Amino acid sequence: MKKVAGWFKKQNKYFLVGLAMTGLAVVLGILSFFWTPYGPTTMSAAERFNAPSFRHVFGTDNFGRDIFSRVMQGIGTTVIVSSLIVVISAGAGILIGAITGYFGGILDEAIMRVTDAVNAFPSILLALVVISILGSGKQNVIFSLGIVFTPSYVRIVRSEFIRLRDADFVCRARLMGVKKLRILFVHILPNIFSVFWVSVTIGFNNAILAESGMSYLGIGVQPPDASLGKMLSDAQGYLGRAPWYALAPGLTIVWIVLGFSLLSEGIRRKEASKK
Amino acid sequence: MKYLVKKIVTLIMTLFLVSVLAFLAFQIIPGDVVTSILGTEATPEREEALRKELGLDKPPVVRYVRWAGNVLRGDFGESYRYSKNMNQMMPVAELIGDKLPVTLLLAALSMILIAVIAIPLGVFWARSKNKAFDVLMNMGTQTAMAVPSFFLGVLVTYLFGIVLKWFAPGGYVSYRDNFWGCVRYMIFPAISVAIPKIAMTARFLRNSMLMESGSDYVRTAYSKGASERRVAYFHVLRNAMMPVVTFLGMIVAEIVAGSIVVEQVFSLPGIGKLLISSISTRDFPVVEILILYITFVVIVVYFLVDVLYRIIDPRISNK
Amino acid sequence: MIKIDNLSVAFDGPEVVKNVSFTIGDGEILGVVGESGSGKSVTALTLMGLVAESAHVTSGEIYYDDQLLLKAGQPRNNALYRQYQGLKMSMVFQEPMTSLNPTMKVGAQVEEVLLLHDKQDPKAPTQSKSKAPAGNLAKSAKSESAEAKAKAEAKADAEKKQRPAKEASKNALLAWHERRVQEKEDRKRRVLEALLNVGLKDAQRVYDSYPHQLSGGMRQRVMIAMAVILHPGLIVADEPTTALDVTVQNQIIDLLRKINHEQKNSLLFITHDLNLARRLCDRILVMQDGCIVEEGATEDIFCDPRGDYTKKLISAVPGRTGKKKTSNSSTTPLVEVHDLNVYYRENANSLFGKTVKKCIVKDANFEVYEGEILGLVGESGCGKTTLSKAMLGLNKMIDGRIVHHSNSPQMVFQDPYSSLNPTKTVGWLLQEPLRAQGILDPSKAMTEKDRVAAAYDMLHKVGLKDKYYARRPSQLSGGQRQRISIGQALITRPGLVIADEPVSALDVTIQAQILDLIRSLQEELKTAFLFISHDINVIYQVSDRIMVMKDGKILEIGETEEVFRNPQDAYTKELLR
Repeated sequence: MKKVAGWFKKQNKYFLVGLAMTGLAVVLGILSFFWTPYGPTTMSAAERFNAPSFRHVFGTDNFGRDIFSRVMQGIGTTVIVSSLIVVISAGAGILIGAITGYFGGILDEAIMRVTDAVNAFPSILLALVVISILGSGKQNVIFSLGIVFTPSYVRIVRSEFIRLRDADFVCRARLMGVKKLRILFVHILPNIFSVFWVSVTIGFNNAILAESGMSYLGIGVQPPDASLGKMLSDAQGYLGRAPWYALAPGLTIVWIVLGFSLLSEGIRRKEASKK
Repeated sequence: MKYLVKKIVTLIMTLFLVSVLAFLAFQIIPGDVVTSILGTEATPEREEALRKELGLDKPPVVRYVRWAGNVLRGDFGESYRYSKNMNQMMPVAELIGDKLPVTLLLAALSMILIAVIAIPLGVFWARSKNKAFDVLMNMGTQTAMAVPSFFLGVLVTYLFGIVLKWFAPGGYVSYRDNFWGCVRYMIFPAISVAIPKIAMTARFLRNSMLMESGSDYVRTAYSKGASERRVAYFHVLRNAMMPVVTFLGMIVAEIVAGSIVVEQVFSLPGIGKLLISSISTRDFPVVEILILYITFVVIVVYFLVDVLYRIIDPRISNK
Repeated sequence: MIKIDNLSVAFDGPEVVKNVSFTIGDGEILGVVGESGSGKSVTALTLMGLVAESAHVTSGEIYYDDQLLLKAGQPRNNALYRQYQGLKMSMVFQEPMTSLNPTMKVGAQVEEVLLLHDKQDPKAPTQSKSKAPAGNLAKSAKSESAEAKAKAEAKADAEKKQRPAKEASKNALLAWHERRVQEKEDRKRRVLEALLNVGLKDAQRVYDSYPHQLSGGMRQRVMIAMAVILHPGLIVADEPTTALDVTVQNQIIDLLRKINHEQKNSLLFITHDLNLARRLCDRILVMQDGCIVEEGATEDIFCDPRGDYTKKLISAVPGRTGKKKTSNSSTTPLVEVHDLNVYYRENANSLFGKTVKKCIVKDANFEVYEGEILGLVGESGCGKTTLSKAMLGLNKMIDGRIVHHSNSPQMVFQDPYSSLNPTKTVGWLLQEPLRAQGILDPSKAMTEKDRVAAAYDMLHKVGLKDKYYARRPSQLSGGQRQRISIGQALITRPGLVIADEPVSALDVTIQAQILDLIRSLQEELKTAFLFISHDINVIYQVSDRIMVMKDGKILEIGETEEVFRNPQDAYTKELLR
């Protein structure tokens, strides 16, 4: 207990606030798989367009469904989808970035050309192209965004490996006769984590924004999977009558994204203050 | 000069690569264009005829060469979906030509907003010693950056359209009919595009200025007896703007390439909306050209930024 | 002229400058000597009014010619300071590479001093000109006549005003424009003159250059030109030669002395290098932990130091006397280098640019004997590091032969901060060479227990206690890190260790300790060292034989005493100056 309190004391404000915000969202999202206050699809003609109240925290929509329950489910989808996107893109990014960065050469040149080209595009556009080839749906969103975000990780990991490739301590490891794979993953890799965690949290943001944007456009996550972006686009038609319908999913996205931004800012500051 | 030639060669190579990918990607995908145009009820003979008409019976390489040749000659092909009149399909060039001004106007308005607001704001923020203002700006920009553009569009619609009634949501006026009316309407989507970018740019400029302020040459300037004002505008800003130029270039590319989502929110008939509808109706000739167009814009803007950077930063140009 | 009375400065925490009082007389060169963290730079910056906003002056006052500049408890009067900065006192900084604005032409940067102060005090230039040495008199007369001309024009201008208003305003505008052009040319001429005076012969080219187009020595001359152009009464030079090569360093010192001699201004010279202070200064202050521990005329301090710290400092400075006896007599070669050329591939353009092979080390022939310390001395860019990398097999672009008669050599680097993996503990770092050796050659594999024991043993050998075993590099001081580096290099008992500037990043007292450590370990383990340094005195202290290198060529090689007593090459003589 004392250890936990001590750990909290060491963190900066950005990190703690960010952690609390994202933590709350993740808990709600995961909880939605087991329990929601109301059935997210239970309609009720009598309760259409109820403003937020104690009964319905975020109000109800055009079918009388409880918006809070639906937002919870939307968070659940977003959390799962964006986590998988980050795992795919960051994992691939580390592997490709480490190898190309350390060894360089023609393979590195070729991969850099591709990542440069991909990085030049607005990410959502590229995902649209991939989706238009694969078709929409949750798996395809994960897959396409996973591919689309890989180059950004490749770039960061690669540049860190290039920086450290000629660092004195790596040079000495080579002189000691340490094997290449061990240099890559035991000597160098732990040194890039501080930079890497910052990009992972930013990556979460990009994934969430892209996923909800695509769902808003109707080519992302498809019903029956709940999605914050889709809810927002549904709500837009009732903006005059029930503004809370649009505000609830919108502010939820802002909440999560802001949480991750603060988290990444917190990590960045912590690392900066270490140096 | 050598650098310029090299850059242009890379530029052309990238365009070629993208064109191959854009063309081939749509050849390997499941789902036949012919069935999707004619419906499942069509007879095999009619399908065969259409296939021949669209040139789909030839191998992909032949089709690519023919397509690329046409594109180079300025013939962008015809849409599968939009018809010009009863017996002719809409040429893609005309289709895009009609939508392009909308996107360009939106991009221009957004860029003006960003440049006019973000740069003074960033400079003011960096120079301000007021702690409360700093905290406020920090929180404000963090939040602004967290708002997705479509939600921002919804908020702008709600605030300016429904509550304040400054514009009629969904009441887009074509630039052909009433240019200034169109600009008036476009201000609001432009605000939605600009706000997060303003926050990003102001933050970036401020951080860049604070970083430069810690440099040795700033101390040198003070040791000459220069005032704080002079140091900020004459020494720091000049150096701090260097990375900001690249940053702004990236934003230009992003905006010009189509603020896809924002066009959807405000039902603007721009490139972005065209792309989305073409993707969902599998209108591949349009999608292919749009991808090429966007690549072209992005690459050219990056190229220009790179050239500009070389002009303003003596450390690179004089190497 | 300058009086600092009981000055204390603190940055959110303990005071870094404590009750410092001293005066600087007219035309005097005062040296402030101390190691890093002694508060010498903060004192100078406070005097100049340049110390960061986060610093608080907790006590004391600063006077310039009886004018109160700064007093504890009162906010710094920046407006007052601006009239002094550049005009009456100016500063030369340590880092010539970063001290100039990278996006502004050098000429404009020097000119800025004139612009800033001509506006405030139009008479200043003529006043200071009268102080100028005889050589400049003719030119300053010219500038006076130019001014007279400008005045005459202004008079004519006034007469014209009586004419019809329209024409008058037009003429006034023209005259104003002409005057501006005249002033501008005048300023440019003064800048060129100043650049010439600091020994920049090609002044016009320098004027139109950006800082990155100039060498470090040239930039430092530009900084000096900027500092002296208005002939201020006080020049503060904060480690102005530390970042420069020895020969350039000599030139800058000569220049500073010449300026002091000609312009009769006072110089506050801050340095960590006692030898430099001795060569330049009239009087010396020794600082330690923010306090002045000793003060006196230069020769008094060196001949008869009173404080313990000063004694320690003087004895730590590597001199050319008091060397330990050479112990090595072996002439069995451990490494033979025959006709070695080392190249460096310059590929500025990755896509179509041709790669240019540049020869960095030319025709090197030498041997390293068993158990000796061979010193390699040369300035930055002379190819010493390239040579060492080639010997380690890290640079493969070579011709000629390198024959090793022992197992693979190890290396100790200059920067103790980057040569240890920051994510590992000291124990892990010391064990890693043994682990790697075990993987490469299973016959040498050790058990975990043996490795730990060996690591502890090496920790003791390099003079550190058990408690450091579990620490990370970030928790160690620079000197401690360098000890670990040396331990890591020696733990597999290589025949040869190449040490590339191992003490250059350390303070003098720490430097002396590390040199002692290398000496004693070398005697104990009989490991041969190739010891690379730019500092010929350090080389003298440790080496059995020395090798002098310049522009990729080995100029001279021989027994240390022999080379010092009887240098053959002109360049060696210059280094030994």
